[in-house]
Amino acid sequence: MSAPDTPRFGSVEAARGRLTLEEVGAIASSRGLAPEDLEVRLRADASSRRAVLALFAVALGWLIIGTIFGDIASIKLHSPDFLTRTSWLTFGRVRTAHLHAVNYGWATAALIGMALWLMPRLVHTELKGVPIAIGGAVLFTIGIAAGIVAVLAGWSDGMEWLEAPRWLAGPFLVIGGGLIGLSLFWTVASRKSEHLYVSVWYILGAFIWFPMLYLVGKWPTYVGVESAAANWFFAHNVLGFWLTALSVGGAYYFIPKVLGRPIYSYQLSIVGFWSLAMFYSLNGMHHLVGGPLPTWMITTSIVASVFMFIPVVATAINLHMTVVGRFGALRYSPTLRFVVLGAFAYTAVSLQGSFTALREVNRVTHFTHWTVAHSHVGAYAFVTFVAFGAMYYIVPRLVGHEWPSERLIRWHFNLVLAGIAIYVVALSWAGVAQGLALLDPATPFQESLRRTLPGLWARTFGGLLLTAGHLVFAYHFWIMVRTPERARRTRPPFHEARPVLYTAEAEAARR
Amino acid sequence: MLPTSLAVAIATAAMTLVPALLLLWAWRRGLFRDLDAQSRVIFEPRDWRIERPWEAPSDRLAREAAHGPLESPQPGEWGGAGRSDTA
Repeated sequence: MSAPDTPRFGSVEAARGRLTLEEVGAIASSRGLAPEDLEVRLRADASSRRAVLALFAVALGWLIIGTIFGDIASIKLHSPDFLTRTSWLTFGRVRTAHLHAVNYGWATAALIGMALWLMPRLVHTELKGVPIAIGGAVLFTIGIAAGIVAVLAGWSDGMEWLEAPRWLAGPFLVIGGGLIGLSLFWTVASRKSEHLYVSVWYILGAFIWFPMLYLVGKWPTYVGVESAAANWFFAHNVLGFWLTALSVGGAYYFIPKVLGRPIYSYQLSIVGFWSLAMFYSLNGMHHLVGGPLPTWMITTSIVASVFMFIPVVATAINLHMTVVGRFGALRYSPTLRFVVLGAFAYTAVSLQGSFTALREVNRVTHFTHWTVAHSHVGAYAFVTFVAFGAMYYIVPRLVGHEWPSERLIRWHFNLVLAGIAIYVVALSWAGVAQGLALLDPATPFQESLRRTLPGLWARTFGGLLLTAGHLVFAYHFWIMVRTPERARRTRPPFHEARPVLYTAEAEAARR
Repeated sequence: MLPTSLAVAIATAAMTLVPALLLLWAWRRGLFRDLDAQSRVIFEPRDWRIERPWEAPSDRLAREAAHGPLESPQPGEWGGAGRSDTA
């Protein structure tokens, strides 16, 4: 591995401490690394630092806003008189704003940040087109904000997951996402590693799939039932091809990296990726079982949903068998704790999804809170946990010092774990009770609602725990990034002590 | 009934066939050669030598035999605050 010929200097270097070439050599030898390897690693991290930290900060902001919207929407379900006098806080708007804030503002921004940090490391080079990536992140954030404000103001395209007005938010999202993708593809094209690790496939796949999904979902000519088909084509695939792809890509990096052992079966990981790529796109129509769509579409979707066992089991075997026998590591690594639990949730939600697609099961669960619980297992227990784990690993390596408080990490973990467990169990139970009541002709409709009330109260409680956990994490992130004098009480993480390498003199000497 | 969902049908077909073609291309391009080395591309020499407290003694001895004496971990080694710091 040779060092890049033209080192990049910029504000990162100006803002950070510098190491001489000799210091790099000393650190590298003490860590058992070739100086060139350390240099490549440090340059990779330094190149993505600004974009990644900015995206993480923005993502956390949306996480707080989004979960508060979620709490308001949840309270309204059991206390419908809550905040009814303010039009922009009515259920239809605030629930949609919640969905956009957490799925696009939080999860998407955090996972893009993770991808921007991971990709240079995976291909052993610097992030290319940093200004392009930062510009893309800014535009993407503007698009999210514009979409959410429009939704709160009552301006919506009326398709689930795609409510943000296409002519207002769309251009920002398309151009912003495109610029970030350009930076990633440029980075891969400039790679200095011969091999493409499986995470690279997942990340690149996500950035190819998402624009296709958005284009089909937002195509402005759908009428009637076409809208429903396009809607669920997008809404389901954005989980599988975007959030899942990025999260699984992250899990395939962090689990083996922290444990210090390759994944259980690399061959299986390749099978998992390509079977996801080929089978997943047919899945979305299972949300329309019983709807006025061609039977072949629904049946094909159900078959494809069962086919999903292949990528899911492949990924599950890999991620779980890599950890088996090493669960003690979860006590030591917050990253592993979040990512391993996220991987378990991935297995659970995927298998649950395949079963829920079956007509017999769907008959009970369709139009109930079960679906909401299911989507939270996916978007939260899986995707968000992986994003949290990634941030715990990445941020110390970007700011050059350790997370200041183990206690805050524990609070964060315990609050969000308890919150999502209560949320999912209560709402799943409420969903089944609701579905069975709806199927019983002797049970009045109002009774089917009354039976869900305990579950809805528990959901609000779980949601409030999640919000508390997010506030703890956001505060921890804030003192980590903004008040380094507090955070620097602990020693920095290994051999990424001061990520910028050279003084100008040392650089001249190196040449 | 096909025109009802033509855009979805075409997009779905494209999203199934294009990955199949890409897989073929990647295979011919040799991107799946030496998968064992590919699975280790994320590691550095030090990753094999860090002392891991959760490790069984037999695993530890095996790593010592393969990679030499193990090194002590440092705070943040596995992503998060050092266990001793509870401030």
